[in-house]
Amino acid sequence: MGSITCLGIVLLVLMMIVGGKQGITSFLSMVVNFGILFFSIVLIAFHTPPIIVTIVASVILLSITIFWSSASDNASTTAFQASCVILILLIAIIIPIEYWAQVGGFGLEDSEELEGLSTYIGIDFTKIAIATAILSSLGAIAEAAIAIASGLDEILTQHDKIRSGELFADGVFIGKQIIGTAVNTLFFGFFGSSLALFIWFYGLNYSLGEILNDKVFAAELIAIVVSLIGVVLTIPITTWMMSFRLKKVQDKTMNK
Amino acid sequence: MADMDNKLTNKMTWVQVLIAIAFCFLTAFLFMHNDALYSQPIFEVTKVESGKTSKMTDEFQNVDHYHEQTLYGKIVNGKYAGHRLTIDNAYSDSHAMDHHYIKGQKLFITLHTSPKLHATVKDLKRDAPIAFLFALAISLLFIILKWKGVTVISSIVINTILFWIAIIIDHNNDGAAVILIFSILAVIFCFVTLFLVMGWSRKMLVTLSAVLAATAITILITLMVFGITHEKGVYYESMQYVTQLPKPLFIAEVLIGVLGAVMDEATDIVASLATLKTEKPELSKMQLFNSGRQIGKSIMGPLINVLFFIFMAETLPMTLLYLKNGNTWQYSFSMNMSLGMTSSLISGIGIVLTVILSSLFAGLWIKGDER
Repeated sequence: MGSITCLGIVLLVLMMIVGGKQGITSFLSMVVNFGILFFSIVLIAFHTPPIIVTIVASVILLSITIFWSSASDNASTTAFQASCVILILLIAIIIPIEYWAQVGGFGLEDSEELEGLSTYIGIDFTKIAIATAILSSLGAIAEAAIAIASGLDEILTQHDKIRSGELFADGVFIGKQIIGTAVNTLFFGFFGSSLALFIWFYGLNYSLGEILNDKVFAAELIAIVVSLIGVVLTIPITTWMMSFRLKKVQDKTMNK
Repeated sequence: MADMDNKLTNKMTWVQVLIAIAFCFLTAFLFMHNDALYSQPIFEVTKVESGKTSKMTDEFQNVDHYHEQTLYGKIVNGKYAGHRLTIDNAYSDSHAMDHHYIKGQKLFITLHTSPKLHATVKDLKRDAPIAFLFALAISLLFIILKWKGVTVISSIVINTILFWIAIIIDHNNDGAAVILIFSILAVIFCFVTLFLVMGWSRKMLVTLSAVLAATAITILITLMVFGITHEKGVYYESMQYVTQLPKPLFIAEVLIGVLGAVMDEATDIVASLATLKTEKPELSKMQLFNSGRQIGKSIMGPLINVLFFIFMAETLPMTLLYLKNGNTWQYSFSMNMSLGMTSSLISGIGIVLTVILSSLFAGLWIKGDER
């Protein structure tokens, strides 16, 4: 048995102990997400336009992550709509930034690994960098949207006559509570996955200027700051979505 | 009254948005004109002439085009500032290791003085877009969270400094005892971050102990699994940018990577349970534990996915390159994605263990909100 299988079994068992049926669903969502991610890479390898593949895959990945979580129907629908809006906004930020910074492809630090590989594959790596940045932000957006939508939904079930203005204040309040720790999740994830790179920079005496302009570092930093922007945007957008839905429901009941 | 408040906040928001936009562009502008700060020579492209294009096919039938271009411009800093130069450049459609330069861009170059002054392009100067993005993130934090944004930013800054110190210590030890160094760092990280988020309280201590215990057990389980399976399917040789012994480095990476998520979750659970206990002091330890499990059950799935996407997305370019170089799906996965997958699974284990431990510790030790 390989280590990955064994770790997977340990995780599945633990998730079943904690979450029962929900635990199995959460585990499956990760497996299916992996399948979709890998399938997207294969599609890109067959010269399907990378950004279109990424956008379609992102919507599917978001819907799986959000609808397979245990959030209520109202909360998960709102979270999904909000995260799709954020996805569009992030793409609008990512595409110009990636073309401006040109971080696609590989840096000098990758030379050793590229030995014996042909890099002239006819697929634009700037687009691949855009895809990478979009994909790495998905989990963070989904998590933040679920957290805020669930919190607001909880408030709605307790005070169903709440006004949308008040709901907005509540949304920002919940957002303030989750943002500090959500940012930590992102930044530690980033520190962890770039640890080797940082040791490399320090060991080879890179100056601050060299690090800031380094392709590999810039690519990772852009991905993480974009995710951070996504999480921050989730707060107002999810709340707007929720109050919009609330207004629609309230108008309907008033007309009756 | 409420309407007036609303109007006031709306008006302020518009002013803030304008200030934020100005701030972002000002930052980008400053970084575009900071050439004097660099000791490396910088070259500004003022004119580009496209040369000939040739088609090429590699041994795996990948078709690409090779374009030549001539860049005209001047050096903008250092000893040779003002010198006009002409540099030849070439790029491919895939831009894997090369760049297509356009008018107005600034490039780092290597100068050669013999026989006469000429240069080759090193890389694009890309600090302005990075600074722009940072400015955008900071202004959004301020607009949406107001002063809470300051805490968030200061926590990031403090953690970055700690992280850098740990790397210096690690380097001075020649990479020995990586796990020990980063374990100590993890404890300090948790302490500082939780202190910033929750302040000094019983809740904070409960959270801290849950986080540390969960992380420690996760690492133990990982080492046990690696022992039992003889690390089959874990390809340390596929780790990127490795300058020291890969296995301890990998463990340290996962340890730091999962820490944020575990803290996130433990804070959530402990804070909710403390509120619950204040509202209903009659709840027994077992009932508190079960409520904690209910909360944890709903947040663990999305949280695992956060790290999953961070760890997996960055493997995309190299996996694609492997696939296009005639490797099988399985081999491309093993050499690029398997470590990301392993990290995701280990993080998942940490996140689930946190649910159990923070509910348990909160059940045992929490006494309701101390106000």
